[in-house]
Amino acid sequence: MEFPDTGIAVTLSTAQGAVRRVSIRSGRLVRAAALFAGRTPAQVLTLLPTVFSLCGTAQALTGLTAMETAAGLTATPATRQARRILVLAETIAEHGLTLCRDWPPLLGEAPDLDAARRWKQDFGAIRPLLYPDGDALSPGGGRLAPDRAALLRTAAAGRDLLDHVLGAPADSVLADAAAFAGWLKRAPGACARLLAEAGWPCPLGTPTPMPPAGPADLDLRLRTDRNGDYLARPDSAGIVCETGAFARRAGHPLVAALNGFAAQARLTARLVDMAAALRELAGLVQDLTGQPAGPVSLTDGTGLATTEAARGLLAHRVSLEGGRVSDYRILAPTEWNFHPDGPLARTLAGLTADAGLERRAVLLVNAFDPCVPCRVTVE
Amino acid sequence: MCMAVPSRILSIDGMVATVEAFGRQRQTSLMLLDEEVAVGDYVIQGAGGNFAAERVPEETALATIDYLSGVLADGLA
Repeated sequence: MEFPDTGIAVTLSTAQGAVRRVSIRSGRLVRAAALFAGRTPAQVLTLLPTVFSLCGTAQALTGLTAMETAAGLTATPATRQARRILVLAETIAEHGLTLCRDWPPLLGEAPDLDAARRWKQDFGAIRPLLYPDGDALSPGGGRLAPDRAALLRTAAAGRDLLDHVLGAPADSVLADAAAFAGWLKRAPGACARLLAEAGWPCPLGTPTPMPPAGPADLDLRLRTDRNGDYLARPDSAGIVCETGAFARRAGHPLVAALNGFAAQARLTARLVDMAAALRELAGLVQDLTGQPAGPVSLTDGTGLATTEAARGLLAHRVSLEGGRVSDYRILAPTEWNFHPDGPLARTLAGLTADAGLERRAVLLVNAFDPCVPCRVTVE
Repeated sequence: MCMAVPSRILSIDGMVATVEAFGRQRQTSLMLLDEEVAVGDYVIQGAGGNFAAERVPEETALATIDYLSGVLADGLA
């Protein structure tokens, strides 16, 4: 039996020179986590990073935290700090891969695979620098023995690599709108050329960023979601929020200055997010202390955990009974941003239908950063 | 969900592998892998599916395929 297409299809229907209808259909398997039922927590924690490998670290840590919450456990500050570092490293690697592997082909250019490999390898190698025994996913936290010098070298190498990829120091490029405009004009590389192309006026109205820990009724909505409707098409009091780098960095002066340029603002927010994540990672490493592994066992209960993953809010809700999973639900960021009435759909609606429509739609789709392939059709 | 399906390597030609998962064959680049792989190994694809992202131990790959088979059989796919 062939595994189904789990991608997203965006169809724009045009009439009288404008997009009149936007259809977003998703083949994503939003209820698949229900099949974790009957498995042990250890089995689920082995499956999570493989099944959801794109943000495997965030998935595994969110699942682990939900299980700890179910058992009434709270990780120590040092463990929470180390887990945050792991998620930041994954965010940096994911954004870096996008910049180097995915953005040049959008311009018809070859991907920068040397740089892509470095993002992936350098930031993928952070876990053993924190947890040398390979027990990062132990309940309560494994033996934390940070190699601070090596971690700081990785952060510094990441800053240098970002400067290299941008063709100019990131801090100066992202400092303000004037410096950014100057960089676009010089266009020293594929990133700048793509961002320059994405700079067409595209007003969105007032964005509705996701609250930091998710909607206030997240637990209730997940618990009462009998047939997966909420997992497939979530909302917060009727509003479909935007989540991800743009929502996180909407207050950054440069991102705010690009309001009215929907694609450019979101692609730029990815760069701002990377630079901020590199700074935060280095800051967290400075005062991170080691600690022995806590012999902690999980007990029955129900827990909810959320993580700001690379693409936005990730939520896991788990119930444990008799030492096994009895219920498991995952709500991923793409379900918000690619909701049929969500931020992407609102942005695409009303676009001018001319010869450049499909190209602009493709750039907007990439700006909203789907975690699965997304096809665009204009009819 | 952004699900990764472990694919078994059927053949390797330079830095391109022919891989198979759930009866479907495709070609994938090995350029972004951190380690050497051989025919019979399992890899998972990165975003877009053009590049293999990492090698997966056989035991984990088979457990994942078993889980995904359950997803298909249960009608959740």
